[in-house]
Amino acid sequence: MGTILQLRSVSKTYREGRNEVPAVESVSLDLRRGELLLLMGPSGSGKTTLLSMMGCILRPTAGEIRIDGTVVDHLQEATLPDIRKKHFGFVFQSFNLFPSLTAAENIELLLRMKGHEKKTLRAEALRLLEKVGLSDRTDFYPADLSGGQKQRIAFARALVGDPPIILADEPTANLDSKRGREVLELLKRHAAEQNKAVAVVSHDPKAEAAADRVIFLEDGRIKE
Amino acid sequence: MFWLAWKTLYHEKGRFFVTVVGIVFSTILVLTEVGIYLGMMRSATDIIRHNDADIWIASKNIQSFDFANTFPESRKNRVESLADVLWAEPLVLTWGFLKLANGGQEQVQIVGFNPDKGIGAPWSMIAGRASDVKGGRYMILDKTSEKRLGSLKPDSLWELSQSRFRLVGVSQDIRSFTTAPVLFMSYAQAQDLPIGWVKPGVTSYILAKLKDRTKKDDVVGSLRTLLRDNDVMTSEEFVMRTVRYWTIQTGIGMSFFLTALLGLMIGGAIVGQTIYANTVQHMKEYGTLKAMGAKNEEIYKTIFSQALISAVAGYALGTAVMLMSRHSIEAAGVPLYLSPLLIAGVFIIISASCLSSAYFSVRKIKTLDPVMVFRG
Repeated sequence: MGTILQLRSVSKTYREGRNEVPAVESVSLDLRRGELLLLMGPSGSGKTTLLSMMGCILRPTAGEIRIDGTVVDHLQEATLPDIRKKHFGFVFQSFNLFPSLTAAENIELLLRMKGHEKKTLRAEALRLLEKVGLSDRTDFYPADLSGGQKQRIAFARALVGDPPIILADEPTANLDSKRGREVLELLKRHAAEQNKAVAVVSHDPKAEAAADRVIFLEDGRIKE
Repeated sequence: MFWLAWKTLYHEKGRFFVTVVGIVFSTILVLTEVGIYLGMMRSATDIIRHNDADIWIASKNIQSFDFANTFPESRKNRVESLADVLWAEPLVLTWGFLKLANGGQEQVQIVGFNPDKGIGAPWSMIAGRASDVKGGRYMILDKTSEKRLGSLKPDSLWELSQSRFRLVGVSQDIRSFTTAPVLFMSYAQAQDLPIGWVKPGVTSYILAKLKDRTKKDDVVGSLRTLLRDNDVMTSEEFVMRTVRYWTIQTGIGMSFFLTALLGLMIGGAIVGQTIYANTVQHMKEYGTLKAMGAKNEEIYKTIFSQALISAVAGYALGTAVMLMSRHSIEAAGVPLYLSPLLIAGVFIIISASCLSSAYFSVRKIKTLDPVMVFRG
């Protein structure tokens, strides 16, 4: 299990007027290939801020982030989108699918964005939908799908370009427990079978069962 | 990202429809206003542009073609005395009243030309020949004035300013800016009308043709020295002076311009508002794209593509409506000039207006923080 993502003494401080409010304080962690890492903690504990920094969406105030050994936290803002495109797949709490696009088109959009060959866009989208068990919903719009189906499409979208890291923010929050379990199972299987790294933020205690490793955050710090 | 723009617009047909209707309205308004303006300016300068003269000599401080004062026609000899002048011809412009069959009367713009030379003669005839006005009280009327004057039957007799004239020909598509019907007759008859300020021995214009057009400026300079009581202009200068008079001095051009601008603003506002609302509604999706690695420029392209698709659809429909209704508008007596250049120009203006309206949406994207996608 090689480490793909490394955080060393990473902190994030927000400025509110004249006050500095720490959201994450000196967090160090490794995310390894083939594992599902669960980040847990109460609301306001800094989980989402940490996940944003892990995904190069947010820059840390201090500390170092390495992807596959390369330091990325000091890179220029303009280069970060390319890093995200290359290394990460994202799954969001509210699915964040384009309502004007069908299930297959939502995946095609990412394929286009990642420069996939135009001739095989549809075939690749169908392949990914099949992988998440939704090959019979290719031409359905998000409005016509259940929460679980939407989250599986979002997961299929995260797989576009075969990124080494999947980051999921509360992926079960808007699902019933059965659908939530199914989504976590998908993520876990992906990590194990494809040897990819998956980090999931959740405050759902049932998610622990699917995790290979759990990190608890409290007040922006890892709770030992 | 053009693909995403199209998909989004297509999915939200109601909103797309409203945008397109706004642009159709805007296109029609701009094409109509500018088309009518150009049509009127063409009418105002038709006679200047439709003859072979290089130089026009008019009364001092003339404002436009339609309002000429008289001066002695003998000045033609001075013009002809210049070695570089090939020929010089007088032309009369005056006004008269034509009695109608129903007892009413219409004011007409009278052009008196030399039928032997044909300078200033009607250039497009559908009945008779321009030279038929020679040798008596003969006149030519234009087909576009039939609605106001009644049937233009060749050989019919008309009373013009207390004299009887025979209609010997009918021209087509020759209008005046003032909308008064244009009536052609011989130069001699125009001087001989009992009512009017043109009398024998005076003329409204002298037109001159040069042996060598490249010497135009030199000849104009010489004539200005020679004819200090006249205005001496090249044909192009006279066209511009007439256009400037009707456009700026009378304010007519400005009113057309303001209406066209209003159309553009309404169209632009509708597009801007719809695209902005669309962008705000899809903020979360755009934030998601940014989080997943899309660059701002890629999202800008989507928004600008939406604006451009709306512009092209609205413009195409608006232009089609205008082209289809063109003949009905012209048949109603409105001089409408829709040239390919105007149509292309309006496309650029409409597109630019739509794209600049999308700018506010683009600004919103610029400040969009992708972290927002993790906030539920």
